Amino acid sequence: MNVTLSDAIKLTMQLFALLNVAAFGAISLVWLERRFLGRLQGRPGPNRVGPLGLLQPIADAIKLMSKEDVAPGTSQRLLFYAAPILVFVPSFVVWLTFPLARDVVVRNLDMGLFFFVAISVLSIVGLVLAGWSSNSKYAILGGFRAAAQLVSYEIPIITMILVIGMLSDSLDFVKVVDAQATVPFIAVVPLAFVIFLIAGLAEVGRTPFDIYFAESEVVGGPFVEYSGAHWAIFFLAEYVNTFVVGILGALLFLGGWRWPFGADLPQIASVALLMGKAYFIVLIIFWIRATYPRMRIDQLMAMAWKWLIPLSFVLFLVAAFQLKFEWPWWVLTILSLGVLVVPVVVQSRKQRNPALALAVRYSANAVIVHAKPRPAAVIVDDVVATSAVEGTSA
Amino acid sequence: MISGLKGMMVTLRWLGKKNITANYPEEHLPVQERFMGFPGLLWDETAEEPFCTGCMVCVRECPTQCMTAIMHDNPKAVEGKSHRRKIIETFEINLNRCILCGICVDVCNFDAIAMSHEHELASFARTGARADLGLLLEQGRKYQAETSWAPKGPDRNVASVVLAKRAAAEAAKAAAAAEEKTSAETAVENTEGSES
Amino acid sequence: MTNEPQFDHVDMMLNMGPQHPATHGVFRMVLTVDGERVVDVTPHIGYLHRGTERLAEVETYGQVITLFDRVDYISNLNNELAFVRAGEKIMEVEAPERAQYIRVILAELNRVASHLLFIGTYAIDLGGMTPVMYCFRERERIENLFEHVTGARMMHNYMRIGGVKSDVPDDFVPWVRRLIGEVRMGVEESDKLLSTNEVFLARTQGVGVIDGPTAVSCGLSGPSLRGSGVAYDVRKDDPYEIYPYLNYKIPLGENGDCWDRYYLRVLECYESLNMIEQCLDQFPAGPIMAAGRRIARPPAGEVFAHSENPRGDLGVYLVSDGSDKPYRVKIRPPSFCNLVGLATMTRGAYIADAVAILGSLDIVLGEVDR
Repeated sequence: MNVTLSDAIKLTMQLFALLNVAAFGAISLVWLERRFLGRLQGRPGPNRVGPLGLLQPIADAIKLMSKEDVAPGTSQRLLFYAAPILVFVPSFVVWLTFPLARDVVVRNLDMGLFFFVAISVLSIVGLVLAGWSSNSKYAILGGFRAAAQLVSYEIPIITMILVIGMLSDSLDFVKVVDAQATVPFIAVVPLAFVIFLIAGLAEVGRTPFDIYFAESEVVGGPFVEYSGAHWAIFFLAEYVNTFVVGILGALLFLGGWRWPFGADLPQIASVALLMGKAYFIVLIIFWIRATYPRMRIDQLMAMAWKWLIPLSFVLFLVAAFQLKFEWPWWVLTILSLGVLVVPVVVQSRKQRNPALALAVRYSANAVIVHAKPRPAAVIVDDVVATSAVEGTSA
Repeated sequence: MISGLKGMMVTLRWLGKKNITANYPEEHLPVQERFMGFPGLLWDETAEEPFCTGCMVCVRECPTQCMTAIMHDNPKAVEGKSHRRKIIETFEINLNRCILCGICVDVCNFDAIAMSHEHELASFARTGARADLGLLLEQGRKYQAETSWAPKGPDRNVASVVLAKRAAAEAAKAAAAAEEKTSAETAVENTEGSES
Repeated sequence: MTNEPQFDHVDMMLNMGPQHPATHGVFRMVLTVDGERVVDVTPHIGYLHRGTERLAEVETYGQVITLFDRVDYISNLNNELAFVRAGEKIMEVEAPERAQYIRVILAELNRVASHLLFIGTYAIDLGGMTPVMYCFRERERIENLFEHVTGARMMHNYMRIGGVKSDVPDDFVPWVRRLIGEVRMGVEESDKLLSTNEVFLARTQGVGVIDGPTAVSCGLSGPSLRGSGVAYDVRKDDPYEIYPYLNYKIPLGENGDCWDRYYLRVLECYESLNMIEQCLDQFPAGPIMAAGRRIARPPAGEVFAHSENPRGDLGVYLVSDGSDKPYRVKIRPPSFCNLVGLATMTRGAYIADAVAILGSLDIVLGEVDR
């Protein structure tokens, strides 16, 4: 393979541009999340630093960089400082295969989807390392829990990616988007999108799955000993991951840069369309964050192993059948909706009805206190009627 | 699932609502009429002096002992311009200790103190929480100007009213004394007349 | 070959220290955990001790009312009511009817405000960050009314032994009627967002269960006790003020878990709003302060008065020696007594549940430590 100098320069520029796109995406998410959550809660969000608070992420970054770098005395120093990098680098490496438009991609691999899956799992190693190298029992607990959560939720994501791969007959991102020329896959397998979104939330560590580093719980999880710039790297990695979930959802389910306008758009418009869809998914993620409380770790794991994984396997089988028997695409929609409806109904019966029934019962079984008849109101004239002077001294 | 989605609709509906937040310090929310801010000493226009005579009832009754006061003889009383024989000389409130309870206002017999609407008194000076007589009078003046404060006992406390009442009482007394004198003279004349 | 472990089993001690976002104040909870399960809980209190009862021995009765504002700093008017009733009992005066109606209306509004704060902070303890904003919006409305009537949003110093400090403004009744409608909508909104949310149910149902007899023996009161099905409410069992003239319901729970305690407070909000409406319908004219001497110099003796606070049964035991300062004011705080049940509820639960259980007891450290 001949690598010329011009190739190397081109590659470097592409990587640099990619880094900027990813970083800018993450930073814009920081701003967008705080403003959007503020709007949902009736408050403005950041509005002091720069117009509309647009410079807030920069202010946050400066603050984090300027903090003192504290490491526990008994921690494994090399691993302690390597862990953030191990968490952060895979989030950026997966961007190599994401096409932002048909020809806007650094390296369009034939196995783009597989590459994504393989690289993104590496960040779990970084989290465990962060917890373990901190040499703090709370951090270790948090790290193990994080690892358990992330590994469990990898399975539904991988299965869904496989389903998409089957439906588009390729693991290449560009071919996946091309396969959605007429119908986006969210209409073909809506259940896959739901599973992907939930598992993606858990992968990123967002509410309702953020218990492993939640503030109001007992510990800060594997990040508890990190401060300043190192913590900023974890923070940035989380937002880059969120953006990745958004872009992946847009590419795999919402039709990428193609649907509904077709492939003849100018490149800028294609990129803008893809980014718009990605931000739309990201807004849904923020919306979920605003609404739901946090799940406990065992409930989270139960949800993964008892619900998401069986459902994803069932969906995989259904998609396989559809491909084998070559049914039209809307059959798959109906089947996957059917598969979606069953757990929803079962869960509603199990959990919603008890609470609603209890609510009604508590109201109905309340002890009723009846009013006694009131004696006629008496008005006394010769007493101070308005402001009374408090009798504390002569 | 359904309930959670209903909850998401509740959150989404707030997107259309206006912000509740008032952008402080550009936007100050108004306080109610009865709002109890830090105390202010009130000014008697008719005698150009504070209502406060320095009787120290408020100082004694304050739960946190945040006030100190010293009274002195009122020069205006000698001149006849005011009915207050003693007047306040210095008055200091430690705003860090004041708990804005309003007990000082309740016990004051002279309508001298009121809870003003001042509540934004953060200061950069280390002793910025010591409110002296000047600041307290200023707060009281502002309060009098901005609200419809009126003394609760004007015939006891407002100088012009009291002085007018005293003048009227003296005039009445003088008139009564004069009338008694004339009736006494008439009585003497009558007795003399009857004698002679 | 037996299956016994070859090493000693040591329980881990986990400290939820005084500085913690989820402990509702400065409260230290030392959990002894075995793996993920809590074996024992030792609460450490006293971080907010301010010497309220000692101060009450050197302050006059009027000044002690300001102290009571700050004992449970979220339900100020309810505290004032308890103390003022104790003072009236020992001085053998009765507040005129209009004053009693004003007191009950304000106390019930304060109950709604306190429960709104509970809903918001309980949600944010469990990770739901939105209800707190909605609930505080409604609290703002109620506090605006308090400012309009008493002059202060929180530390009102409004009730007096024998009545209230000043009459309500002229627009009180229409304002409160409007307020009831707005607050009811706000409570419904937070109710819809939270009460049947699946994640919330998973976090609170079946967690921190305590049954009726145990709850009674632990000394619980208020919604924490009624969640276990015990129908004890001071307004019903030892009625005071004008509560006998009101129609209301006292909701009871069945399971004694966190969700029950939470939902009862939501139901109590609705009930309080209904009670306020009835008070407004019955609102009489008249004086607002009892006749008699202004100086509170009660005869020597001792008296006990209690009232239903949003947190439970607040008791005031007042001993007078005949002077204008109380000899002793003993406060029976509901949160302090509710904390006794914490260990029973938390034993066997997960660490993450400790936060949920503590939140569901709705303690205020100002009351626990005084």
